[in-house]
Amino acid sequence: MIERIDTITLKGMLPKVFASESIPSSDVWRGNLTFERGRFYLVEAASGGGKSSMCSYIFGARTDYEGELLFNGMDVAGLKMEEWQRLRRNNIAYLPQELSLFPELTAMQNIQLKNSLTGSVEPARIEEWLHELGIDSRKDYPVGRMSIGQQQRVGIIRALCQPFDFILLDEPVSHLDEENNRRAAAMIIGEARRQGAGIISTSVGNPLLIEDKIKIRL
Amino acid sequence: MKLISRLLRKNTSPARIAGFVLSNFIGLAIIAGGVQFYTDARSLWASDDSFINNDFIVVNKQVTSANAWDASESEFKESDIADLRSQPWVKDVGEFTSTDYRVWASVSQGGRGMSTMMFFESVPDQFVDARGDDFTFEPGSDEVPIIISKDYLALYNFGFAGSAGLPQMSESIMSGIPLRLTLTSDDGSRSIEMRGRVSGYSNRLNTILVPESFMQWSNSRLGSGVGEKSPSRLIIAVGSPGDVAIKDYLDSHGLEVAGDKSGSAASFLLNVITGIVLAVGGVITILSFFILLLSMSLLMEKNRDKLHSLLMLGCEARSVSAPYLGIVVWSSVAAFILAGGCVVLLRAYYLDPLQGLGATTGSLLSGLGTAAAITLAVIILNCVAVRKKVIEAWRV
Repeated sequence: MIERIDTITLKGMLPKVFASESIPSSDVWRGNLTFERGRFYLVEAASGGGKSSMCSYIFGARTDYEGELLFNGMDVAGLKMEEWQRLRRNNIAYLPQELSLFPELTAMQNIQLKNSLTGSVEPARIEEWLHELGIDSRKDYPVGRMSIGQQQRVGIIRALCQPFDFILLDEPVSHLDEENNRRAAAMIIGEARRQGAGIISTSVGNPLLIEDKIKIRL
Repeated sequence: MKLISRLLRKNTSPARIAGFVLSNFIGLAIIAGGVQFYTDARSLWASDDSFINNDFIVVNKQVTSANAWDASESEFKESDIADLRSQPWVKDVGEFTSTDYRVWASVSQGGRGMSTMMFFESVPDQFVDARGDDFTFEPGSDEVPIIISKDYLALYNFGFAGSAGLPQMSESIMSGIPLRLTLTSDDGSRSIEMRGRVSGYSNRLNTILVPESFMQWSNSRLGSGVGEKSPSRLIIAVGSPGDVAIKDYLDSHGLEVAGDKSGSAASFLLNVITGIVLAVGGVITILSFFILLLSMSLLMEKNRDKLHSLLMLGCEARSVSAPYLGIVVWSSVAAFILAGGCVVLLRAYYLDPLQGLGATTGSLLSGLGTAAAITLAVIILNCVAVRKKVIEAWRV
């Protein structure tokens, strides 16, 4: 059983859909890349480069790849569903590009749904985060009636409502202005530093504004 | 959990669930009602004796003008018995053993005496389902228990007693009358005096039955010892007395069932009708099972994205299965309760008339137990299907 993830290694990994194609030079595909806990990574690529695929592989949501995915040097191909679910609650936080919010629930209900699984964040802290990102007045609105930018901020707060060793953010601020980007980045960095966790964020042009990052070319 | 349930139960169709409950209720009620009625009514045709199991038949060869004077023609040879044993419906075959000596019985009642020559037969102990220890014999004892055919008592009461000016006798009076038995070897050199006691009456055994242990003991004391005779009657343990294969076999081999008062034909009809009713109920239940299965599949397919998103959040498989399992369990239990109530009402309707006909009714558990077992199977199969759907939604 994996208690803590210190490293995530992508060894010779390649999406199967790319197997028959010639792909441009990449730090990730067919390489040997290790993400370390406590460090911040920015994965940049053109659209269609496979950023979301990489996040899905690391999160265990897809397995259509060649090569190996290693947590702490151990191949995770054989992990059972129950083990993955435990890792998702305690070790890896994930904000997918499509956000996966429930449109019929309010912003607060979407956040509480996640927090009820982990019980990791005090309600007052959630209120603070909502205020910091400027959506506290919209917290009781159904998410389906909010703008994409507002939904992204709800998604970021929801992703932070758990303990994690790594947080995966797939284009987390693509619809945010610079000010909201900075606030979101500060919040994510603060929480990652508090937990000693690593950040893996992807971008196609509007990156999360984090300092001391390691840039990775996909 | 309430939020998860609210999300995953969206798109639930009350009409489809009600359709399942209704059809499952009808199917279960037919099956459980059929099983219950079969259990309750079976005794009417099964000629239930207090001391012999229902699933036995006694057979003998038909006596014709051709074999009337040759007793060996009506005896069962070893090859006949071996052939019988090889039949799929035969569980066990037992031979009737006859006395190898003469029996003289006398009764004296109210100063008037009556005596007659008679005979005894016995069957292996496993075929006699004696309730209590009445029908046993210890070597050295001077009393022997006897089971006689009810027809003998009827013959005496309605044929002989009236014309001879003797009183009629009930079974209990008859059982209380001491019977003096004189057992004499064929050459007249050895003789034993004993007391006989009628311990039971049979509808199906047209004989005078004594315990196997008594037969062995008395034959060894008084028999001529000139080899064993082949049996002329056999007792056969069968799976189901109503099986049509039994009748076919007996007809084709010139055998007849002793004491058969058309019970097997009625039993056969009861089996057929119960079979048809159960088949109809079974088809309806299977269809209702598929209604529920398809309803759950459709519901989970419509909610597949939500299911996937919840699993991406880290929800346990059992948490996201719970709302669907709840629908499966509650709708199945509702159908079971309705069907159970229906069986109880149906039984209340027919129980009195059936008991009036002399049926020894069975337990209500047979109908309800069948419905419960089917309900459990429906729940388990649907739970497996729900679990499979959840795993499908886990990975894209």
